[in-house]
Amino acid sequence: MDRKRLIALIWSVCAVMVFMGWMAPAAQAQAVPGAVLAAAAPTKPAPLAHPGLVGASTLSGADTAWMLTATALVLLMTLPGIALFYGGMVRRKSVLNVMACVVAICAIVSLLWFAVGYSLAFTPGSGALGGLLGGTGRLWFSGLDYVQGAQLVAVSHIAPNIPESVYAMFQLSFAIITAALVVGAFVERMRFSATLIFMALWTLVVYVPIAHWVWEPGGWLARLGALDFAGGSVVHINAGMAGLVCAYALGPRKGYGSEAFSPFNLGLTMAGAGLLWVGWFGFNAGSAVAADGRAGLAMAVTHIAASAGALSWMAAEWLARGRPSLLGLCSGLVAGLVAITPGAGYVTPGAAVVFGGVAGVACYWGATGLKRLLNADDSLDVFGVHGVGGIVGSLLTGVFASKSISGVEGSVLVQAVGAGSVMLYSLVMTAVLLWVTSRFVSLRVSEAAEIDGLDIDQHAERMGT
Amino acid sequence: MSSSEKIAIAAHLHVLLRRKTGRVTDTEWMACNPDYAQEVIRLARQKSAEGGHDDLDTLADRLEWAMGMPEPQPERPLVQRMSDAVRAHGARGPGVNAAPPASAGARPGLPVGDSRAGTDGAPRYVKGLR
Repeated sequence: MDRKRLIALIWSVCAVMVFMGWMAPAAQAQAVPGAVLAAAAPTKPAPLAHPGLVGASTLSGADTAWMLTATALVLLMTLPGIALFYGGMVRRKSVLNVMACVVAICAIVSLLWFAVGYSLAFTPGSGALGGLLGGTGRLWFSGLDYVQGAQLVAVSHIAPNIPESVYAMFQLSFAIITAALVVGAFVERMRFSATLIFMALWTLVVYVPIAHWVWEPGGWLARLGALDFAGGSVVHINAGMAGLVCAYALGPRKGYGSEAFSPFNLGLTMAGAGLLWVGWFGFNAGSAVAADGRAGLAMAVTHIAASAGALSWMAAEWLARGRPSLLGLCSGLVAGLVAITPGAGYVTPGAAVVFGGVAGVACYWGATGLKRLLNADDSLDVFGVHGVGGIVGSLLTGVFASKSISGVEGSVLVQAVGAGSVMLYSLVMTAVLLWVTSRFVSLRVSEAAEIDGLDIDQHAERMGT
Repeated sequence: MSSSEKIAIAAHLHVLLRRKTGRVTDTEWMACNPDYAQEVIRLARQKSAEGGHDDLDTLADRLEWAMGMPEPQPERPLVQRMSDAVRAHGARGPGVNAAPPASAGARPGLPVGDSRAGTDGAPRYVKGLR
């Protein structure tokens, strides 16, 4: 990127941030209807329709403690879970670049979430666009108050039992890991600066609206009845689709299809997979937003699906290739976890076995046969595992959702509409954003840089001797 | 018919031919070589007609029938059969990984990675990690 373009970009970003900061006090001054409630009312407060302040005594300490823990668990899935999982799978010369991308994306998404993302995703929208995008009432986390003197705490209308700061942080950890997942599709060839710009735009333009559609009660998919307990479509189908588009747009790595791209260290990958497995308890059980029986059930089905996924992928690989592999076991357990994600709060443990078993085989095909059919260099099989696993899980949720567990019934048709909508939006907007990014910087490193490795070219660093 | 059953019939015919005609035959070769077996059968029938040895004729008929039966396939475990079928299907599928040629454009001295094949023969880590 030349100096003039870089300076222009920096000034543009600063201008946007100053504008948003100027808007924040105005947003805070906007009436948040029914803001102060329980402090005055001796009886149980009416359900909130918007984020607002409530008496601290109405919050649940147990739920809050669990959600703080779940947030940490989900962040551990990214740092260092995804960093290790991906880092172990790429070639030695690009390991540090992959890890740097994960760390940098965590930082960028965090600031964007604080500034704009949380408000646009998890506050009610208004007017005709209310179903598509949230409001501006929580820009720069304005209104996320803790008033010690009056014992008032801001809560989200979606989770009135815990402080809104905790809920916002929990959702931030999801936004972070979704962006980090996409990295796996374009490793070893995308310019670091392009990665930062693209992932920043992608988080705001793709992730935030989709999260609003599915998880904010006014979102159009939520009102349609699409079930996505912890992010099968918001996180995994979304990331998978975006990864596939990135793989097509950037083109294959040099030597792809003729050279063997040996993973650097599958021990790191296994360590990362372990962090993902354990962290997923926070991902799924934390999506119950309470320390209760539903969270416990979500934790159980998560573990069962991971186990079933690991074994079914292993069986498929053993039959097809003659030997099971550690990478296959790790990939299978992730496939099972991905598949159970949309249904974790809706299905029985018995159904979880089906989720994992089907996903293990389906994602094995996604990472092998389907990958050959699609003919895209999706480096670490983001679409094959997360995309395919998310689609499988979303559809199976429509089949197995139990009314006795969740109070809702599933519909395969509605699930298909939800999955399809997310896929289509992610496909189109990811392509658009890649084009926008390419106006500022070149997406791909030079051929010489790719041969030398991105560690030395992009970061002037090497792995140890 | 199993090879052991064929050998048993051939051995019986060998014994009869040796006792009644003085001719010595190769039992194992008779059981596995159709041309040799056919010649022994012809000899046995000839000697049976000449000397009235009906038992030679009977055994010749049995050996002729036995040599016409195919060898049974060895029993393979179910898992082995399923594995072979899956790999055969994969080998027929599109885009099967070919053996990697010398990496074009790679700088001298840089490793090209581990291309050891899996047991299905496809090179590992070429066109995909899994």
